[in-house]
Amino acid sequence: MTFSFLQIVLVMVVTFIAAIDQFSFLESLYQPIVMGPVVGAILGDMNTGLIVGGSYQLMMIGSMPVGGAQPPNSVIGGIMATVFAISMKITDPQAALGLSIPFALLGQYSVILVFTITSPLMAKADEYAAKADTDAIERLNYFTMAMLGLFFSLVVFAGLMFGQAIGETLTTALPAWVWNGLKAAGGMMRFVGFAVLLKVMMSNEYWGFYFAGFALATIVDKSGLGGQALALIALIGFAVAVYDYQTNVKMKQFGKKEVSDDGI
Amino acid sequence: MMASNLATQYRDLTPAKALDKKTLNQMAWRSLFLQGSFNYERMQAAGWLYGIIPGLKKVHTNKEDLSLSMQHNLEFFNTHPFLVTFVMGIILSLEQEKADLATIRAVRVAAMGPLGGIGDAIFWFTLVPIAAGISANLALDGSIAGPIVFLLMFNVVQFGVRYWLMHWSYDLGTKAIEAITRNAKEFTRAASILGILVVGALTSLYGGTTIALTIPNGESPIVLQTILDGILPKLIPLGLTLGLYWLIKNKNWSAVKCIGLLLVLGLVGGFLGIF
Repeated sequence: MTFSFLQIVLVMVVTFIAAIDQFSFLESLYQPIVMGPVVGAILGDMNTGLIVGGSYQLMMIGSMPVGGAQPPNSVIGGIMATVFAISMKITDPQAALGLSIPFALLGQYSVILVFTITSPLMAKADEYAAKADTDAIERLNYFTMAMLGLFFSLVVFAGLMFGQAIGETLTTALPAWVWNGLKAAGGMMRFVGFAVLLKVMMSNEYWGFYFAGFALATIVDKSGLGGQALALIALIGFAVAVYDYQTNVKMKQFGKKEVSDDGI
Repeated sequence: MMASNLATQYRDLTPAKALDKKTLNQMAWRSLFLQGSFNYERMQAAGWLYGIIPGLKKVHTNKEDLSLSMQHNLEFFNTHPFLVTFVMGIILSLEQEKADLATIRAVRVAAMGPLGGIGDAIFWFTLVPIAAGISANLALDGSIAGPIVFLLMFNVVQFGVRYWLMHWSYDLGTKAIEAITRNAKEFTRAASILGILVVGALTSLYGGTTIALTIPNGESPIVLQTILDGILPKLIPLGLTLGLYWLIKNKNWSAVKCIGLLLVLGLVGGFLGIF
């Protein structure tokens, strides 16, 4: 099955929106249950789209046994699985998902690239802020969203134009160690953000609290609480902060009283 | 100019007029794009600033103060995208009161941190499975109601939470302001303690960097990460954060230079199979 020009453009537009939506806007349009039928309708077979999207969604929430690997990026995973199911007349959603995996990997690579490229752009944002240029901040936000959307629609374009084989070719265009390295670098870059925060927040009297937070988090993390760890640690921090506040306010009041006593 | 060389308070210290409902709603709408400029270094910082721009413009009527506010609001920021308006409301009430920067920053960090786990529990682990479960079965029956039901269920809750939190936390912040300003110095100190404690916790919880090096040793190769964990778990995230802090503070490194260093480190490490 070959696609018409209009179909290709429409799928690319939908992909552009979904790519942005996975992090911004409604954060729900991108889900396979929505993308499946939309892409299906564009390609003239909404029913297949509903079935592929619905099955993938159930797999993602764990209510359907997962056979084989799941696509690493659900946006492209859902879209390309629908494309292949319709164009290659595959009735088994699992098989269609399997074919989408190289493209979903390219989607994941696109995310890594955009998050990496945007990091040094923050220095530009600092310059805009220094000039109180609110419009430039807004443009930057739209630009980075468009960049992500564009990368994703190009990946889908390649799949629509050149078929399933192009996915694997493209994933090996750069050796795996490059992606590993970029991912590792990406994982470390947040420490720059922390370091700058520390520089502006820290004075010598506070270092103990930094290490206390680090220690508590490391201990609580081992208990397997995951995301809730931070909320619990904040409760402990809250107790310490309130105690400190009350003590210092009392000392201040006490000090004032003494001064006024002297005055009499 | 780097965010770290900022003034400590606003030039115009007269509290601004309260924000109207329209501005609060505008910010709640813009909060949808919190992750627009998401990046590895400061995560949601630029999207956060994007969201509160309507409020900041109203509160800071002179350019110097608007610039100062924009700069400190570009520091590292990460919270749950659906709960961010809670942080927005409180921070805007402090900006409006012209609280000093250390206070605003500390409250921002302390408020953003704990929301992540709560939001995940509500949205990703509860709402999505329920909505997706109901609607996916409709879709499998070939009904177009599937995606529609899903979008409706998810977004009614999402928008309800976003707008309600925005107004509620702004009211909360404005009401608490009087008590805060009465003991401003003490409050700043307490908030800083909580904020820094949260940064310490983030260093460990957000720090996933490990190394995959092994030293060949016959039958039982020595795994370097195990040794490091034996000395102190999360030693690498802590060491990297403190090392970067040192470079920035004592060697005047810019954030971009640090990013460059990490990029090289990551790629070389990736090539050598360290990560």
